[in-house]
Amino acid sequence: MNGAKNDASVDAYTQLKTDFAAITAKSFQARLNEFVENKTPIIACTDDFFPELFTAMELPFYFSVRQGLEGAFHTGKGPEAVDGYSELGGSSSLCSLQKAAAYLLVKGKLPKPAAIVMTSTSCDAQTAVNELMSNYKPWAAVPRVSVDASFEKDEASMAYLGRQWMDCIPFIEKATGRKFDLDRLKEVCEESNKQCGLMFDFQELRRAVPSPVRADWGFIAYMTGRWAACGRPEATEWLQRLYDVTAQRVKDGLGIEGVKEKIRYAWFDILPCWSDKLFPRLEQAFGAVNLMDLYGYNAPWPVIDTSSLESIFTSFAKRFLIGNPMTRQIFSLSSVYGNDAVHIARNFKCDAMIMPSHVGHKDGAASHRVVKDMFRQIGVPFLVLGCDVFDERYMSPDVVFDKISTFFETAGLTGR
Amino acid sequence: MGSNIKSAVLEKLMKAAAGLANSSLQDFKDKGGKVIGYFCPFIPEELFIAGGFLPFRMRGTGSQNTNLADAYFDTLNCCFVRHTFNQLLAGKYSFLDGLVIGTGCDHLRRIFDNAKHAAHETDFIYLLDHPRTMGTPEMNGEPMITYYRSQLAGLKEKMENHFNVEITAPRLKNAIKLCNETRRLQKRLYELRKADNPPINGMETAAIMMAGASMPKEEYNENLKTLLGELEKAPASGRKYSARLMVVGVAIEDPCFYSVIEENGGVVVTDDLCFGARTVQSVVDEKTADPLRAIAKYQVLDVPFCPKINGAHVRRVSFIKEMTAQFKVDGVIAQGYVACDPWGTSFALLKESLKEAGIPFLRVDRDYLPSQSGQLSTRVQAFIETIGGRI
Repeated sequence: MNGAKNDASVDAYTQLKTDFAAITAKSFQARLNEFVENKTPIIACTDDFFPELFTAMELPFYFSVRQGLEGAFHTGKGPEAVDGYSELGGSSSLCSLQKAAAYLLVKGKLPKPAAIVMTSTSCDAQTAVNELMSNYKPWAAVPRVSVDASFEKDEASMAYLGRQWMDCIPFIEKATGRKFDLDRLKEVCEESNKQCGLMFDFQELRRAVPSPVRADWGFIAYMTGRWAACGRPEATEWLQRLYDVTAQRVKDGLGIEGVKEKIRYAWFDILPCWSDKLFPRLEQAFGAVNLMDLYGYNAPWPVIDTSSLESIFTSFAKRFLIGNPMTRQIFSLSSVYGNDAVHIARNFKCDAMIMPSHVGHKDGAASHRVVKDMFRQIGVPFLVLGCDVFDERYMSPDVVFDKISTFFETAGLTGR
Repeated sequence: MGSNIKSAVLEKLMKAAAGLANSSLQDFKDKGGKVIGYFCPFIPEELFIAGGFLPFRMRGTGSQNTNLADAYFDTLNCCFVRHTFNQLLAGKYSFLDGLVIGTGCDHLRRIFDNAKHAAHETDFIYLLDHPRTMGTPEMNGEPMITYYRSQLAGLKEKMENHFNVEITAPRLKNAIKLCNETRRLQKRLYELRKADNPPINGMETAAIMMAGASMPKEEYNENLKTLLGELEKAPASGRKYSARLMVVGVAIEDPCFYSVIEENGGVVVTDDLCFGARTVQSVVDEKTADPLRAIAKYQVLDVPFCPKINGAHVRRVSFIKEMTAQFKVDGVIAQGYVACDPWGTSFALLKESLKEAGIPFLRVDRDYLPSQSGQLSTRVQAFIETIGGRI
């Protein structure tokens, strides 16, 4: 994936990929079928609010949208799930990922949980799927809890959300028979703090010119630290290796193999499921390197204060609402979204900013004017696409490529 | 197809609903009064009234296009939001002195960001964080009430500082009484529609309800009392309807929507709308020592919710079933905007729930402007005929 032909880091990145696959294979998500078979209790969440808690309790969990991603789009069944949902008569404007999650749910393809934990974030589509999950008849007897998330981000608001999540512990213990251990949670949180610190440090290396790695390493780092092995030492070790090998590349002044970097841009949304049909073409045609995506961007993460149970859960609220990618940008003011994009453009030395404006992100669609004007002020060319990052049928990768090509040309970025 | 009485008051209220700046609002302004626009019934009018303001529920009435708003909102965004924001940009809300937006949905919330960015006529623009989860007394009710109370207190303080007014507890209590009186009067209006031949139709009721959020409350209450007196004495019309209908979904500001239904032989007798039946089901505690808390409790626990509120489907179905029984409803028409994910999803669930209860259900996805009224008419006609076959 990265590194010049004579560069030792090529092997290191290959090894990192292999190890990422191994870590992922051991994750709760990858082993759901096994848990269903051996009747291990599973928690269904509507998002990844506090993966640290589940690691500490060794309690398998999944969240609905990730099921849509991994259960449908990553297995090539995304379009089928999207169309299937439409036939069921749901909201036609729903995010395609949420449609896929909803389809898997109503078709009985999500593991039956021992309990459901919902929170009123991050977007309308999520709330809609929460409601579907909550009213799915075969799960009528499954205990559930709905938590109210504050939109405000001050200390009192974070404590409000944290307290409600904290109150879920006895509920989860009762529903699953698992015992909660505060000391173990503290250990996991300390490890998680190290991981988030490494994710941020790795990101900062990517300010280098030329860029040492492609944007997708940011998402892989996120998946390792947050999704696959949150709070587990193997993820910390993996992230440390990623940092070390990348730091060496920066020191050596190495860019992406086979690419003469001419245009630096950021794709400020989720990396598309059809990335391979777009980014390599942009690299080859224009020397255009994608530096950052939404999930590869660390804000940075609020540190978990492990001094008490209450402080841990208040920190979880901060992490989720202020740190967690996408939640941070969409469940907040347009200025947060815009300031993050501007921060990336300025500090990562972007020649252009691309707002894919995924069709499911209605809040984003209502923020373009605010963000566009911020970019006008800093003089960085800005493009809004309006594609579907999951379902390529909405706007084909060819069309996206053409739009970006024209944008690069009209912005005077080509031929440099 | 309207009511069978000639009423100057009814005419006045309908006129207030047909436009934005009505004569009562203008009189209030001429006397030095200030007007605060607000979105969503989660934002309590009591707070504004206690500060001496006239609360005006924001709507896109009169909008013909979204040319101005399109620079801020995408076509993926809710058409109600785009049309209302367009009216704001077009200067149709020049009578506003402030604007309060709730954090209810992804589209509406962005009016705050864009209004701030556009810096339109009003310089008091506030985003109120309100609950998005259904409260239950036994689980999360108390923390939600406490949290929402703190958010209301924040808004109160901002208004006091910005407008140099004092919103005291006694004033809040008086405002609660005033708004409760409105709720009780409006409930009486709804009760009249339980009659076999309702003295007032859906279009008129919707306009009366809308007027209630567009003019000074004292004046409105007096008008409504007069109108109720007239309606309660009115002779039965003897008109026959093919179907008694309930409408659910997004707020309906377009009288054409009701006309289409009522010209096809139906009569809308009740609803599950945010500025309709949902607002008249209960009242705020008037005897409380802490009026802000009483308002917060009312909003968190006591009102039926729209689907923006997480976990409220079961309560919504129960409310709709209760309404259909009380108002002898023959069928439910669910209408929503294409971009509304919460309602769109809710309709799929509602369809199943009402099917099990044997209640006929029609779903209509519509635009803000009545451009599809021909198509709507055909569908409503077919629906009413189907129901007619059942009666």
